[in-house]
Amino acid sequence: MTQKITIGPFSPELEESVYFKLEADEERTITHVEIINGFIHRGMESLVTKKNFMQNLILTERVCSLCSNNHPFTYALAVEKIAGIKVPMRAEALRVIADEVKRVASDLFNLSMLTHLAHNHELMRDTMNTREHMQDLKEIIWGNRMDMSANLLSGTKYDLDERKIKLILETLDIVEPKLRDLQERYETDEQLRKKTVGVGVLPKEDALEIGVTGPVARGSGINNDVRVKAPYSLYAYRPKLRPKVTLREEGDVHARAMARFGDILEAVRIIRDVVADMPEGDTYVEKRPHIPAGEAVVRTEAPRGELIYYLKTDGSQKPVRMRWKVPTFTNWEALKVMILGDKVDNVTMILNSIDPCISCTER
Amino acid sequence: MKIEEFNNAIKTKIAGGYLFREDKDNYGNLSAWITLQDKKDIETIAKTVKAYKGRCVVATGYKNEDKEGHTVIYHFDIDGTLINVELFTENETIVSITPILPSANWAERELREMYAVEPIGHPNKDRLFLDYSIAKGVLNEYISLSKMQLGVSDTDILWNNVKKECKV
Repeated sequence: MTQKITIGPFSPELEESVYFKLEADEERTITHVEIINGFIHRGMESLVTKKNFMQNLILTERVCSLCSNNHPFTYALAVEKIAGIKVPMRAEALRVIADEVKRVASDLFNLSMLTHLAHNHELMRDTMNTREHMQDLKEIIWGNRMDMSANLLSGTKYDLDERKIKLILETLDIVEPKLRDLQERYETDEQLRKKTVGVGVLPKEDALEIGVTGPVARGSGINNDVRVKAPYSLYAYRPKLRPKVTLREEGDVHARAMARFGDILEAVRIIRDVVADMPEGDTYVEKRPHIPAGEAVVRTEAPRGELIYYLKTDGSQKPVRMRWKVPTFTNWEALKVMILGDKVDNVTMILNSIDPCISCTER
Repeated sequence: MKIEEFNNAIKTKIAGGYLFREDKDNYGNLSAWITLQDKKDIETIAKTVKAYKGRCVVATGYKNEDKEGHTVIYHFDIDGTLINVELFTENETIVSITPILPSANWAERELREMYAVEPIGHPNKDRLFLDYSIAKGVLNEYISLSKMQLGVSDTDILWNNVKKECKV
């Protein structure tokens, strides 16, 4: 007999609002998936056309909290492309540091949610405690645990002195051994493996067809990391900085988690490399640059994958059109492949494994 | 893949003609901008992108100020190279490329509900984000900032309520 099961739109096991309508057979194997979105749509793409370029720097940072730095960063790249602004090298370095610190904190949050859903509370506690060091670092250097306000339209708002660089390196010295220990435990923990290996499989062919990006793609053996394929900022000038991405062929929940661990450890390596060789000079060109008429498409690698911004301007102080696509926008469709044929009990775990950002996706 | 190679691949197949230009970002990454004269040629572009194992990243739509109709820009990726393809529709319809490139699925559904541009042949007719109570093409309309941010209506209902409170 077919069972009809609903999850959401509001549930303690869901990070954000989404509504699953599932059908399952007697063995609780899912035979039909319907996902309903739109619970937190805010019309932000319309709102940005009512605000000036400076105001939009603030607004884009509020699209989402976990990858908040990537939005103003990518938006600034689009504005700078249209205005023909070449950002000082020191600002490029500072942007990369902010971005990679954010990546570590974001990915660790997702991994701790995974262990929470797997009821492995000891591992969850240790993951969150490790993340807390990065949160403290953000609070001390950028003044906030989530929104860093690191970017300006022609550089960065913040700078690092000797004392702050020392603090970053000391924090990484504490965090890195913990991360390596966690990576080992995530790889070998029997309880976690039992709940994640072979669960929510996304075969490589499906991943290519759907066009997934980020750790979801890397978990299915696809490397489309923007930092490698179309390098920007300091990644463009220093090839050695580009991440050595972790590719896994299994395509399951566990593979995606381990791909994320690869991203985290590479982020730590990148931060160390950048602070070891900080370029000298200014951190911005001018605080209020003139934005002429033009059009630009730019992209960056956010913690969840490719983030792309389209910007069209007409010489006035507001955008004519601004559009952005976040990783979850395409990764979402892959859920149907992952969930179909799997067990009902695994649904929230599979959802978590794409690290969904619904406030980003719905905008 | 080099951009020139993609241009050569579509040269003889695009029936309606097109404008082509290369662009470079601040970091030296090349991208292509293609403006189609006939919107139906987007199918040929999609087939070529598929042949190169590319994907549709997203599509941007907007209502034109100077002439009646909508501009739609598809953004494709082929192994790290961006191919931006622009087309114009005067009658709010385009040919859906989702049957060729499933990665265009959500992008075309969003075009439908935000700008009422119908992708003909799209396999999914359901709404993506907005409730059915909200008319299609909501981004075609002018909505004031106060209404957008605060939910304040264009009517004077709120003001009347304030006046009523003051009298009390």
